[in-house]
Amino acid sequence: MSYGERELMLTGIGGQGVQLAAQVIAQGATAEGKEVLVFGSYGGMMRGGNSDSTVVISDQPIEAPPVLSTTWSAILMHHQFWAPLKERIRDNGLVLVNTSVFEDELVADRYQVVEVPATDVATDLGNPLLAAMVMSGVYGRKSGLVSLAGLAEGMRRSVPPYRSQLIEANEAALAAGWEMAA
Amino acid sequence: MTDRVLIEGSEAMARAAVAAGCRFFTGYPMTPFTELLEHMASLLPEVDGVCMNAESELEAVGMAWGAATTGHLAATGSTGQGLSLMQESLSEITNARLPLVVFNMARGQGDYFQATRGGGHGDYRHIVLAPMDIPEAVELTRLAFELASQWRTPVMVLGDYYLAHTYQAVSVPSIGGADPELPDWALNGSSGGSGAAKIISPLGGGVEGEEGFDLGAHYAACAAHIQEMSAGVDPLVDIGFCEDAELVVAAYGSVGKFVRYACLRLRDDGHRVGYVRPITLWPFPSEAVRDAIAGAAKVAVYEQNMGQMVEDVRLATLGAVPVEFIGGPSWDHSGFGIGPDINVPDISECILRAMQ
Repeated sequence: MSYGERELMLTGIGGQGVQLAAQVIAQGATAEGKEVLVFGSYGGMMRGGNSDSTVVISDQPIEAPPVLSTTWSAILMHHQFWAPLKERIRDNGLVLVNTSVFEDELVADRYQVVEVPATDVATDLGNPLLAAMVMSGVYGRKSGLVSLAGLAEGMRRSVPPYRSQLIEANEAALAAGWEMAA
Repeated sequence: MTDRVLIEGSEAMARAAVAAGCRFFTGYPMTPFTELLEHMASLLPEVDGVCMNAESELEAVGMAWGAATTGHLAATGSTGQGLSLMQESLSEITNARLPLVVFNMARGQGDYFQATRGGGHGDYRHIVLAPMDIPEAVELTRLAFELASQWRTPVMVLGDYYLAHTYQAVSVPSIGGADPELPDWALNGSSGGSGAAKIISPLGGGVEGEEGFDLGAHYAACAAHIQEMSAGVDPLVDIGFCEDAELVVAAYGSVGKFVRYACLRLRDDGHRVGYVRPITLWPFPSEAVRDAIAGAAKVAVYEQNMGQMVEDVRLATLGAVPVEFIGGPSWDHSGFGIGPDINVPDISECILRAMQ
């Protein structure tokens, strides 16, 4: 239905790393030679506001416009702003849910739900803010779109210089997610 | 040499501009033009170029005008409101026969007339290019500087919020090549009495031995030049599925990409719909549009406005088939012309209604 294009919609609240996860996955896919498109929207760029992003990955030039009405996959970091996304996930899609904080019903018979206690795993790794990296690791493996090495490269391309001290912890979180998805 | 990177549209266009030889940029921040200005400010010093944050769009276009007279490739830009302020100068710069690239990062599509007709005085037209996405914007930015130099005219690149803020993996040319050679018409600072003084004016020449301020002769020369451009600039257009289409949908820019995608999907479902997406908005690709619709029963024009390009489509098709306007103005509360009205299902519905 999508010309080999794989869509990912991410939703969460500001501060959870939704935009960073989108960048890491997209940069990783770019590093591995894929065609990639990203369009993010976030309310006021503040903690607690809504934060959504759309990523499209393909082996062919991308036909999709920046805003899509349906998606093959989703990463649900938080339930607060997820309502508009609910109907957009296509049948048999791939849905990753951050069970540490997500509180809503999922229609598990319509799509494949992967439960990831991302915030708990990140907390065990030493920093709850690593949850988005854990989730990105799971997504890379479950989707088959980006390798762990690709994600790590994507993360290094995405992290600003003033956050370079977090690169090692981010890598560990990506790897932890990748392992969980085995 | 190119590097393939995941890059924001604004940065991709800025890189393409500098790689094309742009050495002077100026503008006043305004969404969704701001990031382009920011990226030019960070890139131009790398090639010993200059970027100025102007006090207003009036000042910006004035500085760009001055820079263009020196023969260095110059560019400016804004969004519709700022472009309104620049109209007088754009008319004068066109009649002064100066190359200038203008990035119009529009808010929605309400400014098609402003872009293609111009709001300045006089009998002028300039080239307008409308990319649908980042790879195309990179290519058209290069082309804009090439055409501006070749024809000594302003060339507008008409983008929008989607183009400015989407990230896409693209090849962008590397910056830092040799500066382009200065053309022989460029002003070099020689003043009157030096024997080397030149004048570049929207009112024509004024140097001994030239025609002087004969406005009739000057405007006739400008008119001839615009006619020559209108016939000589290659019209660009993207056409799909028109061979057996009952309905052909016309749209441009980012919205054109949504329409294109809607048509692809409707084709999957067996609907005989095609699309035509003008890329050069001036000169309008009338012949290609006429050819594309030759077998269709009807043409529908989707724009995010009250119907502007629809007039050019009607002029191109000259009554050969009915041309229906199926778009409408943006009801995005931010005023930036982004969703919720621009989405594939709603556009598909408009197209299907037009097919009935």
